Amino acid sequence: MLPWLMERGEVPVAEAAERFGMTEAEVVRDLELVAMCGLPPFVDELIDVFVDEGVISVGVPRLFTRPLRLNSVEAFELLAAGRAAMELPGADPEGPLGRGLAKLGAVLGEDDTSGVRIDLDPPALADELTGWVERGERLRIRYWSAARDEVTERLIVPRQVFTDRGEWYVIADDDRSGSTRTFRIDRIETVEATGEVVPARDAELPEPGTWFADGSVPRAVVRIGPAARWAIERYPVDSIGEVDADGWVTVRLAVASEQWLARLLLRLGPHAEVVEPEEWADLGRQAAARVLARYRAASDRS
Amino acid sequence: MADRVERLTNLLALLLETREPLSLVEIAAELADQYPEGQNARRASFERDKAALREIGVPIEQEIVAGGPYAGQTRYWIDRKRYELRDLSLEPDEARALQVAMAATRPGSASGQEALWKVGAGIPDQLPRVTAILPDAPALPALREAVASRTQVEFSYREVPRVVDPWGLLLREGFWYLIGFDHERGGRRTFRIDRIQGEVAVREGAEFERPADFDARDAFPEDPKLIGADEAVPDARVLIDGSRAALAVRELGDERVAARHADGSVELDVPCANLPAFRSWVLGYLEHAVVLGPPDVRADVVAWLESVGAGATS
Repeated sequence: MLPWLMERGEVPVAEAAERFGMTEAEVVRDLELVAMCGLPPFVDELIDVFVDEGVISVGVPRLFTRPLRLNSVEAFELLAAGRAAMELPGADPEGPLGRGLAKLGAVLGEDDTSGVRIDLDPPALADELTGWVERGERLRIRYWSAARDEVTERLIVPRQVFTDRGEWYVIADDDRSGSTRTFRIDRIETVEATGEVVPARDAELPEPGTWFADGSVPRAVVRIGPAARWAIERYPVDSIGEVDADGWVTVRLAVASEQWLARLLLRLGPHAEVVEPEEWADLGRQAAARVLARYRAASDRS
Repeated sequence: MADRVERLTNLLALLLETREPLSLVEIAAELADQYPEGQNARRASFERDKAALREIGVPIEQEIVAGGPYAGQTRYWIDRKRYELRDLSLEPDEARALQVAMAATRPGSASGQEALWKVGAGIPDQLPRVTAILPDAPALPALREAVASRTQVEFSYREVPRVVDPWGLLLREGFWYLIGFDHERGGRRTFRIDRIQGEVAVREGAEFERPADFDARDAFPEDPKLIGADEAVPDARVLIDGSRAALAVRELGDERVAARHADGSVELDVPCANLPAFRSWVLGYLEHAVVLGPPDVRADVVAWLESVGAGATS
C-alpha cells in the first residue's frame, strides 16, 4: 500500500479502502501501526503518515518506495494471465497489455519464443462474436445441436465468449428456449446480424465452464480401461473409484446428452462399459451398429 | 497481533538498512523488548518472522560466519537489489491492462491479486466479455523459473525419474506441457505437466544452453491427427453427410475437399498419421461419416466398431 500512497501524496481513506478491498477502519488501523514503527538508530528517519478528516497524507522515506519483488507464484500468475489475454480476440500486441507484458517479461527473464507460451487458437468467428457481444446485437444462426444431431435455426443475443479445455463457447440469450444457453462456436454453421440491439437482462450469466455442476444434468456410471483413461482427464468427472487388478476404474460423469455419451463410447471402443443407468448399457453397441451399417452398405455398392 | 505486525515491519526495516549482516543476538538487541527473553522462544519467534517475510517475497539472505570469534554463527541481511522490483515501472494503462487480463483469465487467484498490487494495479471491477479458463498445475511456477534461469529440473513422470533441461512451457487444448531435453533418452521430449508425480526439484547450478531456434509452439503439431508424422503425411478419404459437411469443411479447410456430391455430402482428405486421433475424429460424426480408404485405415475403424463394448464383459 505504501508505495501507491506515496506516489499519490494525498488520498481519501475511502479510495484506499476500495482499492485494496479493506474497510476504512482497517486502513486507518494499519496506517497507525506503520506510523508508530521507528527505524533503527543508524538511519534517523520516521515513516511520516497521518490521517486527517478522511484524507491520508504520506511522506515515506526511500526505504519503502519500491514495491516488493514478485514471488515465484505471483510472477507466474501475472505472466500467464497476461499472455493468455494476448491470445483472446481483440488483443493488441502494440497496446498497453503488450507493452506491460514486454516489461514484465524482461524483468522475469522471459523470452519471446520460449518461457510460457499459451495457444488458445480462437476461431475467426470468436472475433466477430466478441464485437456482437459488446453491441448486444441479436443474431440469426444455423447451429448444429449435438443432443438432437440436427441443424436448427435460432435467434440469439450473445453475452459472453469464453474458452475452456481447448473449445470456444458463446453464452447467449436464446430466443427458442427463452433462457440463457452456452453454444459451441465451432458448431455455428452460419451467422447473420439482424441489426437489433437488445439490452442485457439483469439476470446473472452462468459461470463459464460449469455446466456440469448443475444437478439436473444427467449422470452415468462408466467403467474405464487403462487405454481410455484420457477421457477422465478430458471431461468433468464427479467421482473416480479405486483402480482394480486389471487397471479398470469406475467413474461417475456428467452426460451432456445421450448422443454425447454415444459418441464418447464409440471413441472409447472396447475400453469402456456403462454400468448405470441400465437403459444406456447398450448405447455404445447400438451406435456402433448404426455406423457399421454404413460400412456394409458402402462395401455392398462397390 | 498488532505487536507482531509492528515487529515484522521493524525487522524488515532493520535488515534492509543494515550495512553488515546481523546475528539474531544483535537483531534482538536492536528491536529491544520485541523478541521474547528466553533463547528458545526468541529463536522460534524469529524463525516464524523470517518465514512470514519470505512468504511475501522478501529475500532474507543468511550466511554462516567462517572464522574468527564468531565462527559458526548465522547472520542475516537483505540484498536491496533482490528486494526491489527494479526496472518494472508500468504506466497506469499498462497496469490496468494486466488487471483486466487477470480478471479475464485467473479471476480467483489470490497470488494473482497480490501480484497486481505489487505492480501498482488494483482489483478488477467488471467481468470482461471474453474470458479464458486456464487449468492449474502446482508445478508451474517452479518450472517457469527454471525455464527462465535455464536450470535443470528433476521429477518423476509415469513412475520413472527424469532429468530434464526445461526449454519451454506450452498451454494448448486445455493442458500444460513442458518441452525440454530429456537426459535419459538423449533427446527433446514433451511432458504433460499434470502427469508429473510429486514435486519438481531444481538442480541449482546445473545450467544449460537452449537451441537458438526453439519455439514452444512448434513442439508438436496443433492438429492431433498429425502427431507422429515425419515426412509424407498419409491422408484417409472420408465421406461426410450433407448435414455435417459444412462444419467439417470449415474445420479442415477447402483445400482438403476431394469431391462434392449432389446430395450435399463431401469427400475429404483427412490426415491420419496418428491413427487413434483420426479414429476418434471420424467416429465423432457417428453414422454421418464413412472412411472410404485406404483399405487398412478403413479396416481398422471397422474392427474398432465391432469391438465397442465387447472388451468389458468379463
